[in-house]
Amino acid sequence: MKKIAKDRLSLLWPRIALNYQLFLPIAEEKVVNFSRWEEGAEVDLATLKTANSPKDIIFPQTETYLNFKQEGKRLELEMAGGRKDYLVFGVSPCDVASINLLDKVFLDEPVDQFYQEGRQKGVIIARACLNPAETCFCSSFKINPALAPAGADIATWDLGDSLLWEAQSEKGKELTADFDDLLEEVSREEQERLEQVKTGIADQLKDLPLVNLDPDLIEGGLNEIFASEIWEHLYRRCLGCAMCTYVCPTCHCYDLKDYDGNKCGERFRCWDSCMFSDFTMMAHGNPRTTQKERVRQRFMHKLVYYPNNYQAYACVGCGRCTEKCPVSLDMVKVIKKLGGERNEL
Amino acid sequence: MEKIREEIKEIVRQALASKEVDLILAWEKGQLWYDSYPAFFTEEQGVDSLVWDQFCVNNLSKYLLDDGMAGQKVGILVKGCDTLAFNQLVQDNRIIRDNVVLYGLPCSGMIDPAKVRREGLDRGLIKIKKTGDQLIFVNKEQQIKVLPTQVYYDKCLTCHYPNPVIYDRLIGEKVANETLATHAGRFSAVEELEELSTKDRFAYWDQQFSKCIRCLACRNICPACSCEQCTFDDSELEILGKAKENSEDKFFHLIRAYHVAGRCVDCGECSRVCPQGIPLEKLNRKLIKDINELYGEYQAGLDPSIKGPLVTYQLEDTDTFTAGERGRKQK
Ligand code: SF4
Ligand code: SF4
Ligand code: SF4
Ligand code: SF4
Repeated sequence: MKKIAKDRLSLLWPRIALNYQLFLPIAEEKVVNFSRWEEGAEVDLATLKTANSPKDIIFPQTETYLNFKQEGKRLELEMAGGRKDYLVFGVSPCDVASINLLDKVFLDEPVDQFYQEGRQKGVIIARACLNPAETCFCSSFKINPALAPAGADIATWDLGDSLLWEAQSEKGKELTADFDDLLEEVSREEQERLEQVKTGIADQLKDLPLVNLDPDLIEGGLNEIFASEIWEHLYRRCLGCAMCTYVCPTCHCYDLKDYDGNKCGERFRCWDSCMFSDFTMMAHGNPRTTQKERVRQRFMHKLVYYPNNYQAYACVGCGRCTEKCPVSLDMVKVIKKLGGERNEL
Repeated sequence: MEKIREEIKEIVRQALASKEVDLILAWEKGQLWYDSYPAFFTEEQGVDSLVWDQFCVNNLSKYLLDDGMAGQKVGILVKGCDTLAFNQLVQDNRIIRDNVVLYGLPCSGMIDPAKVRREGLDRGLIKIKKTGDQLIFVNKEQQIKVLPTQVYYDKCLTCHYPNPVIYDRLIGEKVANETLATHAGRFSAVEELEELSTKDRFAYWDQQFSKCIRCLACRNICPACSCEQCTFDDSELEILGKAKENSEDKFFHLIRAYHVAGRCVDCGECSRVCPQGIPLEKLNRKLIKDINELYGEYQAGLDPSIKGPLVTYQLEDTDTFTAGERGRKQK
């Protein structure tokens, strides 16, 4: 294990930026999001939840597939792609776990080549959560906020004046060697402090209000949950916006479209949301005609369909929907309604 | 508020029991301190979970457009700002006044959970008490006194209609206007932007709009966005789709701003729900300010019998397209 003094971070950023597009949590008018770092940016490694997850760096909200051009009878097609190397620093454990969930979808056969390229070109540096918030429930999905899940190349812990730093992958080890001159060895005393920090996090978790949530307690199979009466009651207040799906680190539905400029154009994909009325619109119309069906789709996908396919829930308990949905129709309420709450307070 | 809450529950129970209304739109409490959300009450017995506290910020009027409401007599709890929205929907012929029973609630401001978090007041929070003009945040270890101005929503700090402007029944005492910060600060941010050069102002909005994730929450919560078929939902529309493109972000915001111009009641819901903190109120208030200056003071939603300045024509109107310099006002 290594460490980097906090006052050396300002030396680290430009060094990383030499070879990578560097993304960091950056505060802009009180809202913190992962953005491209440039000299003078207000880096904020203390804020726990960025408004958006870093999903859009790996799986961009809009991504060009193909450019086309017509000349006479000739149609020229040109593949887009060619992503640059990038590094995301300060990803919280739940968000790292969410990338693993996206991997299952996009790297499963047939492999999504754009996504694959994006993953290969990226380095993920995680940051443990020292103060999990009351809207967090990652532990319900067996994520430990004190550690970085596999998938992070380097794990870091904030000890106040320094960041402890541990490589977790080959990429991570190479990078650690590259920055050796900025890193220092960790003392025994600091190792002990880290253990205290970890225990502190575990203690805090016990007091969090949503800690009793347990999706494994959800009752019934696919058909029963689908037919459950809870949807009738829950959906009514939903506005049908896409905020929950767009801020969610695990939502991954997209649409394919063309920009048609007559003689030339572009094929691209962009995020889409099951909450929109035109989602999966087909020639005959839309398979889900009411908001009730759309709300059900969102939660069924995360709690039933995805687990059926990949043996994991498609939620990491980041609590963004809990915090942001304008009408508080969030994952926590749905899990509770479906019986997924331990009553042993 | 606790006392009034019990009174509200009693009124709601009676209204449902006597079949004065089929359904009542109110708020319910969720798992966390700030979590008061819209709820639909149809049964007397369910009313126990109804809540009225300093987090009942959601404007419920737009739910009156839901398909399920047709043919029903609906009761609705409304604050001052909510009544402006209600009136606007009536004026836009989207709801029928007589099908709705309005229970008016004077409101002295709602607390912004984001501000509470930013001040670190959320840690271990047990409850929030109100005494006189102070709020007391009680947690396990201590009681912290806070001024409402520190934690109220920005929109509440510039609210000028804390009391319902229309109601069938008022619950609780009217609040004095002066208890709130006044009207005055309403256009100050707009004036600052007006000071900028065209280039800098363009850069400002370009930067703001580029943060938009196009989730449409602002549109969907907006009581002035009440079209049955919104142009943004038209998948054939060629200037605007779902692509996250700078030009499309701008189109989206400008189209929306112009569609709500003259009908935006300045309820502030769009800015409240925006997950990216885009100051949409500055855009809307610029249009409100211009309308005020060009056609005289006008507050959308104040009186649905008065037609809005942008849908009427009078001979003495300033026609800025010819009288001014290409839409600019004459100095
Ligand atoms: S659940 Fe909330 S965030 Fe999601 S679409 Fe409905 S209103 Fe919007
Ligand atoms: S469903 Fe909600 S809590 Fe779960 S990962 Fe998505 S945003 Fe986070
Ligand atoms: S534009 Fe914003 S402030 Fe105006 S009515 Fe709509 S939600 Fe309210
Ligand atoms: S709520 Fe904010 S992010 Fe969402 S579409 Fe509106 S302005 Fe964009």
